[in-house]
Amino acid sequence: MQDASPPPGHDLQYEHAALGLSDAQVLAALRGMIVARTVDDRLWLLSRQGKAHFVITSAGHEATQFGCAWAVQIGRDYVVPYYRDMALVLALGQTPRDIFLHALGKAEDPASGGRQMFGHFNSRALRIVSGSSSVGSHPLHAVGLAWAFRITKETDLAAMTFFGEGATSEGAWHEAMTIAGIHQLPVVFVCENNQYAISVPQAREVPVPDVATKAAGYGMPGMVVDGNDLFAVYAAAQAALARARAGGGPTLLECKTYRLRPHSNADDDRKYRRVEEVDAWRARDPITRLERYALHSELIDPAGLADIRTAVVAEVDVAIAEAERAPNPAIESLLHHLYGE
Amino acid sequence: MPQLNLIEAVRSAMADAMAEDARVFVLGEDVGLKGGVFLATDGLLARFGPDRVVDMPIAEAGIVGMAIGASLHGLRPVAEIQFADYIHPAIDQILNEAARLRYRSNGDWHCPIVVRAPFGAGVHGALYHSQSTEALFTSTPGLKVVVPSTPYDAKGLLIAAIRDPDPVIVFEHKQLYRGVRGDVPEGTYTVPLGQAAVRRAGAQISLFTYGLMAHYSLEAAKVVADEGIDVEVIDLRTLYPLDQATILGSVRKTGKALIVHEDKLTGGVGGEISALIAEHAFEALDAPVRRLASPDVHAVAFSDVLEAHFMLNPQKIATAVRELAAY
Ligand SMILES: Cc1ncc(C[n+]2csc(CCOP(=O)(O)OP(=O)(O)O)c2C)c(N)n1
Ligand SMILES: [Mg+2]
Repeated sequence: MQDASPPPGHDLQYEHAALGLSDAQVLAALRGMIVARTVDDRLWLLSRQGKAHFVITSAGHEATQFGCAWAVQIGRDYVVPYYRDMALVLALGQTPRDIFLHALGKAEDPASGGRQMFGHFNSRALRIVSGSSSVGSHPLHAVGLAWAFRITKETDLAAMTFFGEGATSEGAWHEAMTIAGIHQLPVVFVCENNQYAISVPQAREVPVPDVATKAAGYGMPGMVVDGNDLFAVYAAAQAALARARAGGGPTLLECKTYRLRPHSNADDDRKYRRVEEVDAWRARDPITRLERYALHSELIDPAGLADIRTAVVAEVDVAIAEAERAPNPAIESLLHHLYGE
Repeated sequence: MPQLNLIEAVRSAMADAMAEDARVFVLGEDVGLKGGVFLATDGLLARFGPDRVVDMPIAEAGIVGMAIGASLHGLRPVAEIQFADYIHPAIDQILNEAARLRYRSNGDWHCPIVVRAPFGAGVHGALYHSQSTEALFTSTPGLKVVVPSTPYDAKGLLIAAIRDPDPVIVFEHKQLYRGVRGDVPEGTYTVPLGQAAVRRAGAQISLFTYGLMAHYSLEAAKVVADEGIDVEVIDLRTLYPLDQATILGSVRKTGKALIVHEDKLTGGVGGEISALIAEHAFEALDAPVRRLASPDVHAVAFSDVLEAHFMLNPQKIATAVRELAAY
């Protein structure tokens, strides 16, 4: 529950107006991040009820994902996400109902019609590209899209791809970075560094403290930002995307963040990280930090915030109810869409 | 009509497809100035420029992955893997990504890419320049796997593959590149995917084969014809999905089946054809289905004598035909 007294200040890097963001945009993002967290809460509940067989969390990553989404020309720039990006696809225009339809494997699941396990987001209309579960395989698709823009001579267009720090050890990731660097393609590589690849800490999966330093070997700049600071992420993502669209080449943008829940509902994170560590990161929860900023800047008061939270819970309740009522896929759909005509 | 060898037919397919459709482009190792190690893309760089004839770093997953991405924006990439032996680093991109994109997105996306790869033994290529890797791909729905045996088919199948809305893997036998010539029309035309060709009609034995072995099998059929054995030689052309109607129709007519491939025996395409026949044409059989394939070793060995022993040839095929005829 929120403390009734407004906190003393905020710890975000920028004032929103300095970045050209309106009050309404900040409040919309705050609301969106609360929606994302609430959807995440409810997915875990559905898992415990045995209704959602697989849950993979975006809790803790919301500022990274909303900050990047703000910089995307939605429906024009391509987004090539990974399983951690539920908050991202909500920020890009998918709805809580879409998320629950996907989690429950319903016929109308916009990601896959009930084929893929939760976390494999997709919407061709929003140019969100369908992915596999194979870690690190998808940044290459962003690179190929960027090559396509070169052939079709479309400018002012970029591809943004997302992955964890663990994925940066994969060969396919290295190949994507290599090709993007050679041809200075309009791709922004966003590393959501939450410091663990399931149970393995960063020190045992990445040989350098900052993933961003890897960029030097691929002929592109690397940037490190506080991934729990919405405005810092936005500023960096905006700069990287603008440079890419203007023909300035790719960027590796590392957003330092933390996953506040276990990797998935099949994981027990108490086996590999201490409660004190998790609590320390909870104190830097990106949503709490944005709330403090909004209160401090008098964009909203505590009562307004409470109203948002109540409204979001009601909205999410409706989405779950609709998704639960939605029909399952038809049995014969199992054999559909293997080949086109 | 111009007489071309198979590599010239492949090149002509890509050149004509690129001239006709600005969405088509080629990418691979050494495909630019050098024109490919087998010269499949010779001259294309000068004609179409570096955006559409892309020299790639040595990154096979990257080549296929980049092709996949470009296809999602509506392009028609033709990726060259320098040797089929090096398609392995790209397997995740081919099987987990390209083959599954349409299905996993419930038809929202599709992936019209072509991956070409020279394969096959008999050119002193030893373990890593001789492999037949088709069986790694012939059990994955969403893919099509094609092997041409004539210059005419090489061009027509490749253009059909480029126009196909789904990923197609084309394996081209290295010995055929310069080992066969034939009529190849100018301009674009297609040979439909998924259809086998009856190369020689016959009444007593159905022989199913593809690639270089289609030529060896025709030679063998000619030899045994003089001995009174009438073999029907069927060039499968597409290995996945198989042309079941042609396969079963032929066996129902002849009652005997021999499958000949250069790929290893175990897990090869021959096993699937045998199963098809056993399941659907058992009553028509007058003899057990026979498979003639390479031994279960990794690929041809370098030594001349080991290579000769590994490779099938028309004599070995004729012997297998005679044994089956005598059953
Ligand atoms: C190729 C591959 N290997 C292993 C896995 C199993 N796996 C799924 S997520 C994961 C950890 C990935 O960590 P990271 O890239 O840091 O992303 P995060 O989950 O922390 O966001 C692993 C090992 C997989 N899905 N794909
Ligand atoms: Mg991680």
